[in-house]
This record gives sequence, structure tokens and C-alpha cells, in this order.
Amino acid sequence: MEPPDVVPTAKTIDEELLERIAAGDSGALGELYDTYGRIVFAVIYRMLASPEAAEEVVQNVFHAVWRRASGYQRERGAVRTWLLSISRNAAIDWRRTRGKRLEREVELDAAAALRGDSSVEETVLLTLRAERVRDAVRTLPADQRDVLALAFWGGLTQTEIAERTGTPLGTVKSRVRLGMEKLRERLKEAS
Amino acid sequence: MSVHPTDDLAAFSIGALDAPEAHRVEAHLVSCASCRSEVASFAEVAWGIAELAPQAAPGAALRARVVKQGSPRTVPEVSAAPRASLLDGLRRIFDLRVPLAVPMALVLLLAVSLAGLGSARADANAYARAVAGVADGNVVTLAATPGSEARGSLVIPASGEPYLILKLRAPPAGKTWAAWVMRGQQPLAAGISGDRSGVVTLVLSQPLRPGDSVAVTLEDAGGVPAPRGAVVLQGRT
Repeated sequence: MEPPDVVPTAKTIDEELLERIAAGDSGALGELYDTYGRIVFAVIYRMLASPEAAEEVVQNVFHAVWRRASGYQRERGAVRTWLLSISRNAAIDWRRTRGKRLEREVELDAAAALRGDSSVEETVLLTLRAERVRDAVRTLPADQRDVLALAFWGGLTQTEIAERTGTPLGTVKSRVRLGMEKLRERLKEAS
Repeated sequence: MSVHPTDDLAAFSIGALDAPEAHRVEAHLVSCASCRSEVASFAEVAWGIAELAPQAAPGAALRARVVKQGSPRTVPEVSAAPRASLLDGLRRIFDLRVPLAVPMALVLLLAVSLAGLGSARADANAYARAVAGVADGNVVTLAATPGSEARGSLVIPASGEPYLILKLRAPPAGKTWAAWVMRGQQPLAAGISGDRSGVVTLVLSQPLRPGDSVAVTLEDAGGVPAPRGAVVLQGRT
């Protein structure tokens, strides 16, 4: 039997912002940018390795938010995760259409942010949550960490990861699933 | 209810599925609360990973460029214009919701509800205005099945993803309008309109290639992996 749909709860501040955006309030778009613009930029910059490209894509992301705010579905996740999904997709699209030359450079370095390299440590935003995530990531087996890094930062699909690493597709799928499940479990424990 | 794509949900939440797998999951999520909940929880893990991105700040001028994008764009006037208040309402609706640059992946639905306006005439006017308001790109008029009152246009913008502007009646209970990209003999699910009627803007969740066809069919609301219902609109790129 299917569980009931998510029990309606009070709107979050982000959801109210999105409603205002859907209603045509450009000030709300600015507020959403103030809240998440920096992390959106950081993620896209991490994926594209070019500040100019990252700014262009961030602009596209918020343009998409402006156009698609009414399509947000809260039962699929929080506003911030919806925004993250749009951001990563926009960066992946940009790389596939305009940023081929960056691909190799980014992929070679893709795992660093999930390994907790010291160079990353020095520059990362040191929030408590980020520390928890990093601790959780450190406990993952290296093969799971690497496929998650290639998928998340490299923007590769499981099939592409299998082809590029010479790993059977089924193995890649298992590693992605197990890695994400373990991260979820450990983040739950940590919180 | 289709089989739960449990093993694919984690990969789906970080965009690691190939397009056909991702669209199968999308179709399933429409009707499966437990899988939606699972995706939402993996999405939080993805957010946690995102927070590991090395700190970096965009230029200060970016905020102004972002906010500027929120300014409504102009919709051209048409002759037989509705009265001013209605015209203003329509203009605002279409200014806000006609999509431009959008990325791949999620099934994206931007619906324009004209229920308050009521009449088929209002829908027809709204449809004409939406098509006339396309700022750039090619517009392909979709052929309607004889007897159908549906109207549709495929818009292929100069940049961004293609989308449909559809004028549809409300689907029967338990049904939905579904868009498909037909690549040769292979149908690719490209989005659903839910139970909305009137003028609907539907961004195709599949990229278009030269020679692809587009079709709109009436399907079970739970989502189907391939078209089974009656075709009401179709056209070729």
C-alpha cells in the first residue's frame, strides 16, 4: 500500500519566496539570490572551473527559476534542492554544449572535493553541516566516493562513468546507490 | 502503479541516470508518493555534497543582472483585443510563464490556468496571444486529429529548450495529456499536462533532433512508458 502523500505543512520561507516569484515579484528573485546565489555559484564554478562561465550559468539558473517557479513541487524536495537540481543541470548543459574543452580538466580534479584534500579544506565553507558531510564522505569506500564525485561534480551519467573508467555499468550503479544510501544514513546519525 | 524504480532513485537525485531512465523515473514519480519522498531525502544528501564546494563568490554585478531578468517582457498587441483588464491579466500571465532557457532533466510543467475566464473564445484568444508572443525561434503548428478541438504549436527557441503551447480541454477523470518526442519508431516521454485545461505551456523534457516528431496523446494519469491513447496533436520538426 502506498503511504499517504506528504502531510501538508506550513510553507517555508523559501516556498513563500517562490510563490512571490511565480506571481511576478522580481524583488523575491533578488531575495532568493541573496540566500542561495553564493552556493549556486560555488557549485557551478566547481563544475565549470571558469568564473565567467559560472556567472553566465548562474544568471541562466535564476532566469529559469523566474520562468518556472510555478512548477515547483514541494513533495519532490525543498526549494533549495530544486534550485540545486536546476543549477547542476544548467552547468552540465553548458559543458556539453560549450565547455567541452573544460571537461577533462574538471573530471581529473573531480574527486578532490569529496576526498577532503587539504587544498579543498583550506578554501571550503566551514559550516558545521559541511563538516558533517565531509566526515560522512570520508567514511565511504574510495570507489563509492569516486563515482559520486564523477557524477556530482563531473556531471557524468552512470553509463558515462562506466565507459570512462572501464568499470561494468552494474558496478557503477551499485556504487552510486550504496554511496548515497550510506551518506544519507550517516548524515541522519550525525544530526 | 508501475514497479518502483528503487535502485535508480539515488542516481536520479544527482542526475546520474541516462535520459530514458530518468524519464521513466519521472513518469513513475507523478503517481508515487513513497518514491517522491525517497527522492526528496536523497536530494538533501545532494545538497550536503553541494555545501562541500570550495568557497567562491560571484562578482557583485551579478545580482543586478539576475534581478533584472525578473522584469516582464513585452507581449505584442493583437487586434481583436479583449477589454483592458483581461488583456492586462493575459499579458502578465504570459510574461511570467512562457519559458526561455531551461536545462534538461526534470519534467517541467508551467501551466496557464484560464479557468477564471471560462469560455472557449477566451482560450482561443489566449492561445493566439501565446503563439504571437513567442519572442524568437521557430514555431511549428501541430496538426489536430479531426474532430478534436485541441490546438497546439511547437516552439523551438533560438536558445533554450523547445516547448509546446497547447489549448486543450480538461482530460477525463484519471487521464492526462502526455507529450511525446517520436524518434524514428521510438517514443520518448516528454512531459504531461496533469489535469489542467485551457492554454498550457509544456517544456519538452526531451531534446529535439532533426526529423523528430512530436505528439500529444490522452493517457492514464499515472504515466505510461509509451503512448497507448489517442493522438490528438502531432507535428514534425
